[in-house]
Amino acid sequence: MDNRLTVARRELASLRSEKTIVLAILIQLFVAAFSSFLAVGLVSLYDPGSVSNGFVVEFAVTGEASDDIEPVIEAEDGWRAVEYGSYETALRSFERGEVHAVLRVERGPAGRAQVDAIAPDGNVRTTLVVTQIKNVVEAFERTERGRLSSRLTRQPVELPGDAPASPYFSFTYTVLVPLLTFLPIFVSGSIAVDAIAEEYDRGTLELLRVTPLTATDIVDGKLLAMGILAPAQAGAWLALLSFNGTAIANPVEILVLVAGVSVGVVTLGATTALAFRERKQAQFLFSMGVLVAFSATYLLPESPPNAVAKLAIGSPTRATHLAVGAYVLVSLVAFVALRRVVAGRGLGE
Amino acid sequence: MKLRKVLRIARWEVSKNAGQLDRRTVAIGLVVLLAVGALTPLVAQQGVTLDDGIYRVGVPEDSSYHDPVAQDAKFVAVEPDPAAFPGEMELLVRPDGRVVAAETPKGRAALSDFRDTVTAYNDRLMTAESDEAAAFPVYVSVAYAEQNSPTASAAGSGAVRTTAEGKQRLDGETGDGNGADSGDGGTDSSGEESEGGDEPIGAPSVGGSGSLFGGSASGGTPADVAPPFPFESLVLAFAFVLPMNFVIQAYASTILDERVNQRGELLLVSPVSREDIIAGKTLPYFAGMVAIASVTAVGITTLTPAADGVGPLGIASTAAISVAAVIPIALLFLASSFVGGMFARSFKELTFVTVTLSVFLTAYAFVPAIFTNVHPVAAISPLTLVVEALQGTGAGAGPGVGVSLGDYAFSTLPLYLSAGVLFALGAGVYREEDMFTQRSVPLKFLDALDGQISGRRSAAKLSALSIPFVFVAELLVVALLFALPVSLSMPVLLVAIAFVEEIAKSVHVYAGFAHERFERTLRSAAVLGGFSGLGFFLGEKATAVAQLVGLPDLELGQAAFGTVTGLGIEASPLVLAGLLFAPLALHTITATVTAAGATRNRNWYFGTLVVATLVHAGYNLTVVSYIG
Repeated sequence: MDNRLTVARRELASLRSEKTIVLAILIQLFVAAFSSFLAVGLVSLYDPGSVSNGFVVEFAVTGEASDDIEPVIEAEDGWRAVEYGSYETALRSFERGEVHAVLRVERGPAGRAQVDAIAPDGNVRTTLVVTQIKNVVEAFERTERGRLSSRLTRQPVELPGDAPASPYFSFTYTVLVPLLTFLPIFVSGSIAVDAIAEEYDRGTLELLRVTPLTATDIVDGKLLAMGILAPAQAGAWLALLSFNGTAIANPVEILVLVAGVSVGVVTLGATTALAFRERKQAQFLFSMGVLVAFSATYLLPESPPNAVAKLAIGSPTRATHLAVGAYVLVSLVAFVALRRVVAGRGLGE
Repeated sequence: MKLRKVLRIARWEVSKNAGQLDRRTVAIGLVVLLAVGALTPLVAQQGVTLDDGIYRVGVPEDSSYHDPVAQDAKFVAVEPDPAAFPGEMELLVRPDGRVVAAETPKGRAALSDFRDTVTAYNDRLMTAESDEAAAFPVYVSVAYAEQNSPTASAAGSGAVRTTAEGKQRLDGETGDGNGADSGDGGTDSSGEESEGGDEPIGAPSVGGSGSLFGGSASGGTPADVAPPFPFESLVLAFAFVLPMNFVIQAYASTILDERVNQRGELLLVSPVSREDIIAGKTLPYFAGMVAIASVTAVGITTLTPAADGVGPLGIASTAAISVAAVIPIALLFLASSFVGGMFARSFKELTFVTVTLSVFLTAYAFVPAIFTNVHPVAAISPLTLVVEALQGTGAGAGPGVGVSLGDYAFSTLPLYLSAGVLFALGAGVYREEDMFTQRSVPLKFLDALDGQISGRRSAAKLSALSIPFVFVAELLVVALLFALPVSLSMPVLLVAIAFVEEIAKSVHVYAGFAHERFERTLRSAAVLGGFSGLGFFLGEKATAVAQLVGLPDLELGQAAFGTVTGLGIEASPLVLAGLLFAPLALHTITATVTAAGATRNRNWYFGTLVVATLVHAGYNLTVVSYIG
């Protein structure tokens, strides 16, 4: 065991002396900041209440059936209806910017309502106003369905009540947490490719072989160094998130999963590096291989990112725990298989 | 540079790579590529769902809510045991049919999502009804019209000029005869609300797919109303950037290979210039990127449903625009990974550097493009041109629609310039004494800068050359911050911009002092600061042309670029003249401060950098608050 630790320590020391691992941390900070900014930005485009409290969308309503839609609009705090006698005056008022949108409501055949909506073109408000138009007409559709319920054989399910919810809640757990836990793993795998390809490329493997290290010691040590990095970073992220007010359920099981997947990915990197030796090809095949392996897990019922999301949000099922076990097992089997191959063949000439 | 020599080195590069490819590598590579090809449609069909089973709902089998829960993968149905609520579930359907949520953020989020699920379920339920007018009693068509009034700003948005207007202005100026702004395609139905009414109203399609873009005037049920969010075309555009990440891995490897064990020595002593070597080594990878981009472009344009009915000519022109927009991104990818390959000490370090480059460049290209048709900030990214070109075919208009020369110049010129400067920087250290030595990346960077210095006037040259990077960095900051409320983002932006500019003006001066190029006296610091400030000022004025194009319309853009040029600000000629020359004084003074710090040591340099940044930010704040 000592020999492996020596190799692992040597790998980590070389990373530390180059200091570029700071870049890896920087990337993760950047990704976290960027995706959060993006989420805030996108949500604020869709949801007026989330950023500017008390923003009221004003609709100009016109047309023969405008009396039917007005109560629907007035029922909501964030909406206000302004009635116009003619469509032209409503349109002019819209062009002057006095209202945010125009809704013309006419009655068609069989009592169906036809809503022609005008939304502002190509500015920041567009998305927001269109989203609000959608909400208005959906509410209008519900009341209309209720009015015409005698003509329906199936009745729509009643909508449950609403509660003020954070729009970022599911984003945090389903995107941010998996992203932050899996990004370090890929970087670790890539570095594992480098660590082995470099020995071949610089011819320093000869030096290692005259030491009392066996081939498995060398591979073990390198994988150990890279395999520790990813769970350590993921753990730091989880701690940071909970410190920041995002409660993470099941942190231990998440770390077990991350460590397991990390072993698998690092093994894959080492395998490609041992098989191809040339960094160019090994890196290319490794990144493509990880891409394939990771998209393939999406076809499984519990993909690793989904399992992390469920564990973090606190809704794991028995299948989730089984999946975690299965991923760890598969990774360990791959690792043991690689060791046996290395023990049998050595590291080659 | 001699073309024949460049081509020969390019041929060597290709044959060297081909020689390394044995049958096994090719076979495995093919298997992996086939797997990618086979998996992509499978995964795309299934949809990348990250939120499967995140909320648990206690719902009885006979409840009307059972089917909505069972049909949405986001929810898991569990036994409605009141004793287990709220520990084992977030939502509980009571026997009386009421839905209660756990009093936690998770419970509230679950309830909010459950409303959407029930709405979608109701729409699906209604499609089975025979009385269509009662099942879908509301039909909606959404059209878009210009809203141009100062009163709109009363609501707090500020009069933001739209992209369409900017385009119109541009087309008038450049006069490239592309027929006004038909390029906006579907969204540009100003005033013609009847267009929406004339849309054939098909059977209600739940989920609202079908058309590539939700932005056009559309008719349908309320569920079909979709905000203009060109998500699909963005995914398509991403197909251009993703392969580049793989190519630069190989390219950076080949550059670093030359530096390992002095392998590059032979080429260096051969009778070719280093420009020939670099161009020859880059050419195959650049050609590869363009080839991949061309195949992707033709593939996407042919397969896009919106391109139906457009002749081969339309496909060719759209593909050509896409490739032309992607080329500067490819060049910047290559240039920065070339510099990365020249600076890195080991493969591991190179991986960190290339991953960082990939993330930053992809973010720079990708994120602003999300706001195509929504926000002028989108014009920053060349990918927006790709998205617009793809939309242009959707409108069925003639070839070359949607992208004017000015747009192209605005979003690609900073990238072209940055790529050129980076290549020059890397080429400066492509020599024996730098290639085969092991120094840390920051020190190599200083070496590279020092390689460009040949006298005090070089300070002005390097400051001017840094402008593209300053531009790119500032655009990145704008893209990062524009989503936040202006009150919060403005101060952060002003400080960030001041910091970026101060670094650009001083880092080469520091490099010069660190290499003992200049006397460590205050006098030489003053001279260098003066030159550096002047060079930066001139470079900034040169980019004023680019700023005319569109970004000053954006409030943040005005803060970023308007303050230093006086552009986009309406004031008296005297104030404008003052604004024109005040920046010169500012740049000279702050550059002298940092140069004085650079004469001492690193800590002094960083200290004066902070001081200069604060002075600069204070100046910017004054200008923004008094004139803007």
